[in-house]
Amino acid sequence: MAIDERVIVETVAGMGLAGNEEGLIPAFGLYLTNHYADFYNRISFGVLRALVRENPELTEDAIALLTEAAHVCAFHTFGGIMASVEWDGLVQPMIESREDWVHGMIAVVNAFGWGRFRVAELLPGERLVVELRDSYESSGYLESYPRADGPRCFLANGGMAGLMNLLYQGDITRRPALTEELYREVFSHPRSFRSRERLCAAKGDSHCEFVVERMQG
Amino acid sequence: MSFHLAPKADLERGITTVGGRRLVFHCHHYNVFLQRTIEDALQERAPALLVAAGMEASRSMLQGLENDAKSAADALELAADTFAAQGFGRLDVRGLGEGGGRATLDHSHYAVGWVSRWGKRPTPGCFFVAGFLSGAVAVAYRLAPERVTSRETECVAAGDERCSFRVEVW
Repeated sequence: MAIDERVIVETVAGMGLAGNEEGLIPAFGLYLTNHYADFYNRISFGVLRALVRENPELTEDAIALLTEAAHVCAFHTFGGIMASVEWDGLVQPMIESREDWVHGMIAVVNAFGWGRFRVAELLPGERLVVELRDSYESSGYLESYPRADGPRCFLANGGMAGLMNLLYQGDITRRPALTEELYREVFSHPRSFRSRERLCAAKGDSHCEFVVERMQG
Repeated sequence: MSFHLAPKADLERGITTVGGRRLVFHCHHYNVFLQRTIEDALQERAPALLVAAGMEASRSMLQGLENDAKSAADALELAADTFAAQGFGRLDVRGLGEGGGRATLDHSHYAVGWVSRWGKRPTPGCFFVAGFLSGAVAVAYRLAPERVTSRETECVAAGDERCSFRVEVW
């Protein structure tokens, strides 16, 4: 594998991604924010608790809503990054195989403050296992709430599914336009990828771990 | 010269902080989609959660700012510069004081993001910003947070020329 994670992390972190004269951060074809983890955690866990408190039978539906937001995030953020001039300049020259796109994207995300991801297993086109330490979601959860009875890293979990879908369902290597139609096509496909957070620090595990596999449809 | 609270990065752990609180990069697609998800789920209760979360987060991150600034007004300017450096837009806080007042925002990330994704909305939508302003005023003037409320009165996402906020100190 030719991906040099340290170079990518240090380069992205050193890009000085900060607001311009308008107070905006246009990068990777997106508008970025260096946002408050506390805000995301409060609104995500707040809405989950409100919905579950009133309708406990809707727990899975509530989690599905937050997971959908994560899929949208992955599609546009990861997709935008992998189609950007910054990617072309920094990561693309290191890529030797389709799987390097996963390693390259994981390296970029490791400069985004979400915690430290590590690919534990990648079976091309079939399965991805990723470990995450210092997840902002699980650590934020434990600051405010008792130990969880289930995983809580909804963004990271959906993000990992999105990464595999972009690569093996949407074929981001061909630089398709990231339209709503493509999003629906990729994520609604009966054989698209879904992720399961097998381990989560919010429920007492030492770290978080995501297993991404194709649906059996 | 522009000042803002510089983030500190621990690249080994993938952690970035300001004021001891974590920062994470996310794009406008996620920000406005998550907000819309919460508005759809909670309906009329959503603004209370979104604004309160913005206030809680900004107070936590800006805490201590009042000790470093020369005055409360300077602390507010420092908060506004930090806000711009973080990509949320350019706040004008000169109309704010110990008793509250009015702030305006050009190039709101949330409004720009909302319009680019879905077009106009019927009501103002920069809830995070309203919460941020409440938190910044509470920190700058050393006020109990319960005394400060903020509401967006005009919003680019709702078709207005700029985003405008009314901050009240009770």
